[in-house]
Amino acid sequence: MAARSLQTQQTGVEVSGHNLANVNTAGYSRQRVDIQTSPFIPTSIGAEGTGANAVSIQQLISAGLNGQIQRQFSSGGYWEGQQSALQNTQNALNEFLNGGTSASSSTSTTSTTSTGLATQLSGLFTAFQSVATSPGSISARQALIGQAQSLATTFNQVGTQLNTQRTSLNSSITDDVGSANNLLASIASLNKQIADAEFRGGTANDLRDAREQVLGNLSKLSNITTSTGVNGSVDVNIGGQSLVSGYKVMDTLQTYDAGGGNLLVQTATGGVPLTLTGGSMQGTIDARDGTLATLQNSINTLAATLITQVNAIHSPGFGLNGTTGADFFSGTDAASMSVNQSLVDNPSLIQASGSATASGDNSVALSLAQLASASQSALNNQTFGNSYTQTVADLGNALYDANNQVANQTAVAKMLSTQRSSVSGVNLDEEMTNLMSYQQAYAASAELVKTVNQMLQTLLALKN
Amino acid sequence: MRVTSHAFNESLINQLNALTARQYNLQNQVSSGLRFSAASDDPAAMKNTLDLQAGKAAQTHYSGNIATLLTRATSIYNVLQSLHTISTRAGELATLASDDTKSQTDRDNYAGEVKQLIQQAAQLANTKDAATGQYLFGGTASGAAPFVVTKDANDNVTGVTYQGNSSVNKIEIADGVTVSVDIPGANASGSGANGLFTDSRSGADFFSHLISFQNNLESGNTTAIAATDTANFQIDENNLLYNISNNGATQTRLNTAATFASNNSQSLDTMISNASGADMVQTIVQLNQAQTAYQAALQSGSKIMQLSLLNYIQ
Repeated sequence: MAARSLQTQQTGVEVSGHNLANVNTAGYSRQRVDIQTSPFIPTSIGAEGTGANAVSIQQLISAGLNGQIQRQFSSGGYWEGQQSALQNTQNALNEFLNGGTSASSSTSTTSTTSTGLATQLSGLFTAFQSVATSPGSISARQALIGQAQSLATTFNQVGTQLNTQRTSLNSSITDDVGSANNLLASIASLNKQIADAEFRGGTANDLRDAREQVLGNLSKLSNITTSTGVNGSVDVNIGGQSLVSGYKVMDTLQTYDAGGGNLLVQTATGGVPLTLTGGSMQGTIDARDGTLATLQNSINTLAATLITQVNAIHSPGFGLNGTTGADFFSGTDAASMSVNQSLVDNPSLIQASGSATASGDNSVALSLAQLASASQSALNNQTFGNSYTQTVADLGNALYDANNQVANQTAVAKMLSTQRSSVSGVNLDEEMTNLMSYQQAYAASAELVKTVNQMLQTLLALKN
Repeated sequence: MRVTSHAFNESLINQLNALTARQYNLQNQVSSGLRFSAASDDPAAMKNTLDLQAGKAAQTHYSGNIATLLTRATSIYNVLQSLHTISTRAGELATLASDDTKSQTDRDNYAGEVKQLIQQAAQLANTKDAATGQYLFGGTASGAAPFVVTKDANDNVTGVTYQGNSSVNKIEIADGVTVSVDIPGANASGSGANGLFTDSRSGADFFSHLISFQNNLESGNTTAIAATDTANFQIDENNLLYNISNNGATQTRLNTAATFASNNSQSLDTMISNASGADMVQTIVQLNQAQTAYQAALQSGSKIMQLSLLNYIQ
């Protein structure tokens, strides 16, 4: 009995030690040794106790809370995917405000400037104004060419950056699919290890914690549904497709081109396209096919309309030497936009005049300058400037929304994590107290061994 | 609620991170003077600011256009004043020469002066804009000298031909508002801006009238001088005065537009500042609050973290 008692208290010390060692381990659930009274020995004077046994080591977990955390991971992952994609898109668009500080009294008077297309666009129209004011001035024409080239280059950069952004979102989906496949394999393997460990009874607590962690990580990538299978295994479904059943990975994920280089996710063997409802993969897909696609479309329409409208007015005009018929811009969208090279080489060819014989006429340049305030049917009856700022605001709204959602999800995650921690987390004071009580019980049990030993010695001494 | 050691650490880290982020944002606002810099911070205000900035850029350019037009209008006015002096002198000479008591020698002397007047007028007619180098009175065909003077063997001006056209450029001084200060040298079309020297509507034809006067003086045709030339110079004078008053009215209009543009530009600045500028007093107070909270979190956190049951057991 004394030996068993020593062993029991030692188990208690070990479990407390294990908890203490894992105080900072992510996903760890504290364990408790379950000590029960040993079977008694019936005697003529009544039942005689035989001490205590450590019957099991149990995890303190809340299964419901774990499920909630998984679902939360999934929606948190979705919005984080969107947030990250949209943040990069906002950077690609590069429309930010710069302020020269002059903090005076209550309100600051700043010389606010912006970095992107907005300034370039208004710059183009004022450059047309300059040519209209001095149609014969070569320097005004050179300034116009410089401004138009600068605008075209900014359009090119934005167009290219947005295309790069699309490519990088596609590779992010591919990376996520790779990670998800690794996690699916881990789950199947952990299912097997847990079944093996629990075959002889008991619970494989640490392995179950590890599996919970892996399921959480998978939930961040995609919304999953889980069910308990044979021998304590967890089966995983994504988009209605069974991917892990028992110890086996039934199918893996892969990306496929849904047209135009836009990658979506399907099962590798079955080839079934998956409708993902949460997680970073769907967040990225939605950001790519939603906000980014709309943004690219708006920027390209803006560039195309600007090219068409400017050319339509410029082409019938006349240069300083009476030349006519040249386009001002070439290209069809943001990425391909450029200024007609012959005008760059010789700015006097800019067709600012409305008459072949009147080189000082400014009617074409004036019409081009007045495009600034003309509403365009291709741009929902907005002016070029307003259409662009609306595009910036739309992207801003989408990211603002994503930021708020991420903040909300983070708050929920924090609350759930605190709740989980209050059930499953390790408290040092608590474990130290337990450790001391097991230590004292161990000492007392050792005292029992000593007492029995002394009693035995006393008995043996009677022989002499 | 049961609070665990890990949860406590995690929560402290989260709090410190949040307070650091808040300080970072507020410090950025103080140093840039802007309440936000990206569209995602405040989408509506960002759109508003960018639209206002475009308005400000256009306004600045309109102010530049107005200044250019005023300079050109002043140059034109100076020429008009000189022409007026010539026109007045020509009228005086016509009155003097129509007097039959004047001898032919007197008239020849007058003719010599008229010859100079014609030369002066032709020189003024080919005045260039100092800023752009374009001819002021060539209409929109302003690249070449608009008036070509033909002389005979005696250096007498026999004709002045107009090479320009009757169109004038319009320049925008506000959204959709255009103004022209130019005067074409001649306008025989009967529409558009009045020609300065020749105009079919008013009947003005300054050079022809001067040349005819010069010829009449040399031939001693006092009848024609009295009957025709004096009346012709009156028509030219009226046409000139019309252009002078028109120029004055345009300058007044441009000055009004310049004041409006300047006010508008200031109010746009204020609007941009209101839309995107940070309220400094509020921002600095908030920054102080955030700093205080950060210090408090650090102090309380570090004190609590040092304590556990381990401090009391041997």
